[in-house]
Amino acid sequence: MKYHIVQLGCQMNISDGERVQDVLEKMGFEPTDREEEAHLLGVIACSVRQKAIDKVYTQIRKWNKWKNKRNLLTFVTGCVLPADREKFLKQFDMVFPMSDLPVLPDMIRQYGVVTPAGIQTLDAGWDDWEKPVLESRNEAAFRMDKAELPGTKKSILHPEKGIEDFWHITPKYASGYEAFIPIQNGCNKFCSFCAVPYTRGREVSRPSGEILRELQDLVEKGYKSITLLGQNVNSYGLDKKGEELSFAQLLKEIGRYGDASEKKFWVYFTSPHPRDMTDDVIEVIAQHKCLAKQIHLPIQSGDEEVLIRMNRKHTMARYRRIVETIRRLIPEATLFTDIIVGFTGETEQQLENTRLAMEEFKYNMAYIAQYSVRPGAASSRWADDVPKAEKKRRYHLLTEELMKYSLEYNQSLIGKTMDVVVRGKDRKEGYLSALTEGKIIVRFASDNTDLIGEFAQVKIENAAPFSTEGVLVSQTVDALTQ
Amino acid sequence: MSDQYHKILNIRELADSAFILEIERKGMRFEPGQHILLGKAGDIHHREYSIYSSVADDALEVLVKEVPDGEVSKVLRKLKPGDEVEVQGPFGFFTIEEEFMNNGSTFLFIASGTGISPFHSMVKSIPGLNYKLLHGIRYAEASFERDHYDTGRYVSCTSRDDQGDFKGRVTDYIKQADVDQNTHCFLCGNFEMIRDAMDLLEEKGIAQDHLHAEVYF
Repeated sequence: MKYHIVQLGCQMNISDGERVQDVLEKMGFEPTDREEEAHLLGVIACSVRQKAIDKVYTQIRKWNKWKNKRNLLTFVTGCVLPADREKFLKQFDMVFPMSDLPVLPDMIRQYGVVTPAGIQTLDAGWDDWEKPVLESRNEAAFRMDKAELPGTKKSILHPEKGIEDFWHITPKYASGYEAFIPIQNGCNKFCSFCAVPYTRGREVSRPSGEILRELQDLVEKGYKSITLLGQNVNSYGLDKKGEELSFAQLLKEIGRYGDASEKKFWVYFTSPHPRDMTDDVIEVIAQHKCLAKQIHLPIQSGDEEVLIRMNRKHTMARYRRIVETIRRLIPEATLFTDIIVGFTGETEQQLENTRLAMEEFKYNMAYIAQYSVRPGAASSRWADDVPKAEKKRRYHLLTEELMKYSLEYNQSLIGKTMDVVVRGKDRKEGYLSALTEGKIIVRFASDNTDLIGEFAQVKIENAAPFSTEGVLVSQTVDALTQ
Repeated sequence: MSDQYHKILNIRELADSAFILEIERKGMRFEPGQHILLGKAGDIHHREYSIYSSVADDALEVLVKEVPDGEVSKVLRKLKPGDEVEVQGPFGFFTIEEEFMNNGSTFLFIASGTGISPFHSMVKSIPGLNYKLLHGIRYAEASFERDHYDTGRYVSCTSRDDQGDFKGRVTDYIKQADVDQNTHCFLCGNFEMIRDAMDLLEEKGIAQDHLHAEVYF
């Protein structure tokens, strides 16, 4: 029996998907890249943009047509707004929040599906499966959603409930050298352009003991790049009101472990909110070698009025103070950001203020998005009044601005020897691609695929706006040379 | 019943399609200026509402204005005492930092319409607050519960009648007012008002870090 998952959205969804895979494979399902041969088809949905949700509707229409010819089960999980959820209930067999993943096997069994791991003594499989004796697909899906199953009793408006059980599932890591560890779920910030508070619910912090165990396990297995994940990662612990470590304390624990470990690894985190970026977080990053000197600090806009409309809850002055602290305490750190162009009502002057912010902060990378309305997010109540072509122009304008500073930084690396994690073959024939600690792309000539997933040292010889090129100096990096 | 389901205890009718829902508090702790996410129990639609009541009140209060196409306000309008609403929170950072209160700061609160809610909570929660509250409304009848504010500190700015304390928008009031540069200005309501008022306040020399805003959608 095979399964196929369509994964949409951010790193958080990718991380969630690794846990979904683990659950399905423990049931005896095998993964397939070909949806045509799968018996179980699922979507991990994203509600950040309407386009991603449209994809889900396209997908399920196709799968439901296939159902006329063969037995299939379908599910959707991930970031789903309550209104979309109501519609999905009529189309998918199973609709559940990620926190209900631990009971997915029960849901599948309710459809009469016998999996090898489910009943080992019976010689039964998908061919023996008959349509379940459930009322109808819609009723069954609704019933499951409405919490007839153990552990699923919850309001559909509180997808965060039960997330602790979800975190107990060991993920099937997609990579052997880089991994994501969810440390927090949900968001309390209510940025006006974002639907996450309505899809993932309130902020819930994962117990620090679990996080540290998962991290140590990964390091022992030789993982080199580990990213702590959360929608609002640096508000970690705040929901526990003093009964859990703060984000800075969690990083400190990781830093201490890294200092004592003989293994070399880099720990990143994403995405933080400037509101919760306290000095102690920056101080602890500066103090410990395993805490990567790369900071992702979303700005979204460089204009005070747009920040208010976005409900970002911070001023440019606050953002500036944070960057100044980073530059003072970790001068070698690279700085990444997120920017939205063409947000409702954004004027030419407001765009210019964002450009000026880019000039001031000299980002190494900016993930620039053209604003798109997401029904459910507060800003959807305002007119999306910047034309599409204008958003595109603004996008290109800021991208060009970004390239000035990223190129300037990358050129400053020429002649330096950098530790890198080799990530795979480069598009350029005969080259491998790697990332520095600051997440700058480095390509170098080598056919040695054994290097993939390992640390190496590369001397930088050329620079482009978003990448550099170098020569391999050493194939191993001694942990003590960090 | 979910612990986030709260009974409606009472409904206070105000002028101009506005009303106050008095809801079971269930021990919720909040800071004046924070908001909750509110909807009818079991409904998929929720909206953010600033808390209107004081931290000392037994009930949690929100000021609701019925919006013609509102997915939530129209539903809330139909509820009666004894019905349940779903409450999440509190959330938000539109609060007065303790440091400002301790150093004897003066405050200028500027609200449009139901944007007065967080200021009502602040005034009722924090004794001795040195404030002036500008309330932008169309007609004077929307001066919701003005007797709750200290004498001389509440100024209704009416744009459609001359029955208020000042005839004109809050921005017109600001233009002709003296504002001390050390004043902490808190603004809450529709974005256009906030934008225009902030521009004026900046022109009067108020620094960005003395401007605090909460936009209503």
